[in-house]
Amino acid sequence: MSRVRVLAVALTAVAALVTGCGYDATPLPEPGAGSSTAPAPSASPPVDCDDATRSYPPSDDRGAALQRLTNRDRLVVGVSGDTYKMGFTDPTDATLKGFDIEFARAVAKALGVTLDLRVISAAQRIPMLESGEIDMVARNMTMNCARWDQVAFSAVYYNATQKVLVGTDDAATYAGPASLAGKRVCAPTATTSVANIKQIEPDVIPVEAANHTGCLIKFQNSEVDAITGDDTVLAGLAAQDPYTAVPQQEKLTDEPYGLAFNKEDVALVQFANSVLDQMRADGRWKAIYDEWLKPTLRVDATPPTPQYGRSR
Amino acid sequence: MSQTAAPQPAPPPATAPPATPATPGTAPGTAPGTAPAGAAQPDTSYVDTPALLNRWQLIGMGVAIVFGIVSALVQFLGWQADGRAADDTEQLLRVQEVKTSLLRADALATNAFLKGGLEDPAQREEYDDAIDGVLTDIADAAEAQPADRRALAALNVEVADYATGVAQGRDNNRQNFPIGAEYLNTASTDLRASALPILDELIKANQERAEDAMAGQHPVWLFVLGVAALAALVWLNRELARHFRRRINKGIALAAVIVAVVTLVTVAGAWIRDSSNDGLRDGEFATAVHEADARTAGNDAKAIESLRLIKRGSGTSYEDAWREAAQAVGDSGTGAASEWAAYTEVHDAVVQLDDGGEWERARTMAIEESGTAFQPFDDATRAAIDENGAVATDELRSGRWLALLLSALTLLLGVAAALAVAGGIGERRREFS
Repeated sequence: MSRVRVLAVALTAVAALVTGCGYDATPLPEPGAGSSTAPAPSASPPVDCDDATRSYPPSDDRGAALQRLTNRDRLVVGVSGDTYKMGFTDPTDATLKGFDIEFARAVAKALGVTLDLRVISAAQRIPMLESGEIDMVARNMTMNCARWDQVAFSAVYYNATQKVLVGTDDAATYAGPASLAGKRVCAPTATTSVANIKQIEPDVIPVEAANHTGCLIKFQNSEVDAITGDDTVLAGLAAQDPYTAVPQQEKLTDEPYGLAFNKEDVALVQFANSVLDQMRADGRWKAIYDEWLKPTLRVDATPPTPQYGRSR
Repeated sequence: MSQTAAPQPAPPPATAPPATPATPGTAPGTAPGTAPAGAAQPDTSYVDTPALLNRWQLIGMGVAIVFGIVSALVQFLGWQADGRAADDTEQLLRVQEVKTSLLRADALATNAFLKGGLEDPAQREEYDDAIDGVLTDIADAAEAQPADRRALAALNVEVADYATGVAQGRDNNRQNFPIGAEYLNTASTDLRASALPILDELIKANQERAEDAMAGQHPVWLFVLGVAALAALVWLNRELARHFRRRINKGIALAAVIVAVVTLVTVAGAWIRDSSNDGLRDGEFATAVHEADARTAGNDAKAIESLRLIKRGSGTSYEDAWREAAQAVGDSGTGAASEWAAYTEVHDAVVQLDDGGEWERARTMAIEESGTAFQPFDDATRAAIDENGAVATDELRSGRWLALLLSALTLLLGVAAALAVAGGIGERRREFS
């Protein structure tokens, strides 16, 4: 037996010499080209106009509005699934809830159709409206002149402002955008937030994420130093992490929210405006605000005054 | 060739003259004493017969020894290759199991998030078992194949990141924070972007290794070697015959018989193993690999189905990914096609409901029916992998002792053939002297 073993060892040694011995190391895949640091803000270039918040006059012509729906008996609405208090999936029952969702429900109910909520990212809002995949967007979408070239908006349903969220350690010393020079500031891809703060403080290092919750993950992983966005959104983020705060600060910009539609769906826009009018008048707007935003923003608010008069 | 010494050695006549070197130009059998004048002068055609015999003996023995060593070595390499093929097959199935378990874990985690509320303890346990299995398999794989260690170390980091992401998602979920779902989504995305490519490299490398090792039997080499050795011995015999009037040298003949028999047996043995390995490579091995591919792609599809509903609205992009995974299942040629078709029917119903605006019903169906429909496919493919993988490795390891024994015998018989050559030429030398 030992002779066989000796023979085997000897032959192994010779075989190793003959075969060159061993395997090539398994290669690792090439590292991905993706980077979390955005080279430049990707928001639309500014377009000047003086009627960004002016919408089409309200109309209660339900029949005309229904004809604009992609599906006969459904209103398909693009919403956020992770913006706490605005539009989010409640982990307890996996249902979508929030301030924006309530407006989507109200419009669907007034139309007398089923509400089909679709979770979309900020970057998907305009393309999905343009392609007709969704009828409406209720996803904290700021009305501006550039977007009016691509979509149609309802009257303003909430006046948000852009602010900055920082860590609790930095909150006391935060003195406005100048404090962010050289700091990494996160905002979702294809939103106006990064472009806005870059314009105010050119030395910020912009970092993009798919959404604001993605920014909060980056913040928790120390990949960014601050997050900028609408006060409504930042309040929702701060509510999920006790080590973050939205310090007292001047607003960076006004962010008037409108419900967005396909540019051609003017009848639907006008019908939505009539629904918003009713909500302002019958107290529903106030009730929705008190339920979803007041606990985190901690201020009273009144419904924004609509501006009409836009024509095709 | 120069002329050889005279007188011819066999049979030695009783009146044989002294074994003095032949004079130039003397024909074989020429009577001694007829040498022309000047025979005492050395000539360039003078041949030192003992030295020539020594050289032939050396050549003959060398041929036999080299034949024995090289033939034994070729067989030993074949013996080694079969062992490596078995080890590489096990390693391949191990890394495929890691990939499947990771995607299985992801399918369980995403399904739990889709359901909402507290996680089902049984599902949580299954998730933990899957991750434990992944970590154990990675450690085993690193021990089994040093060449995979660097890739496995990188994979270990990715798995740790994934498990951490899911844990963070779960912790936030328990506090009803939507960031929990984002942690899960990020973990799932990173798993596919970072961990799976490493596993794909590991699978590719080990499949190539196993298939290369299965082609490690070389009957042609053995045949060519045997024929070359026989040709050398025949040449040697002819040379001896030319100079000693013996048509066949018994020693060389015996050596040639040994070489011929060894060649015949080893070529037949290697050819049988080679054919058997070819059968395994195209049979049980291929089946095990294809079933593992099917199970991996199937679990990927199941996880994507849950992600689709969690994201609630990104149906088109997720459905594209689901179709791609389903295509991989179909392309694999899995034997569990009917089980897959049963799950696909439920998935199509889920998609129809979701696309029709009935997300709640789609979610309920995904939670209650889709998992149940998927389980038979997962069980069937797992069983097929285990069965075929075991057959392949058992078959590769079976009878290896015989190959090793044959290798050792070849070496000994090579020595025996060399001794036979030495004996045969030694006989001539004795006759000569």
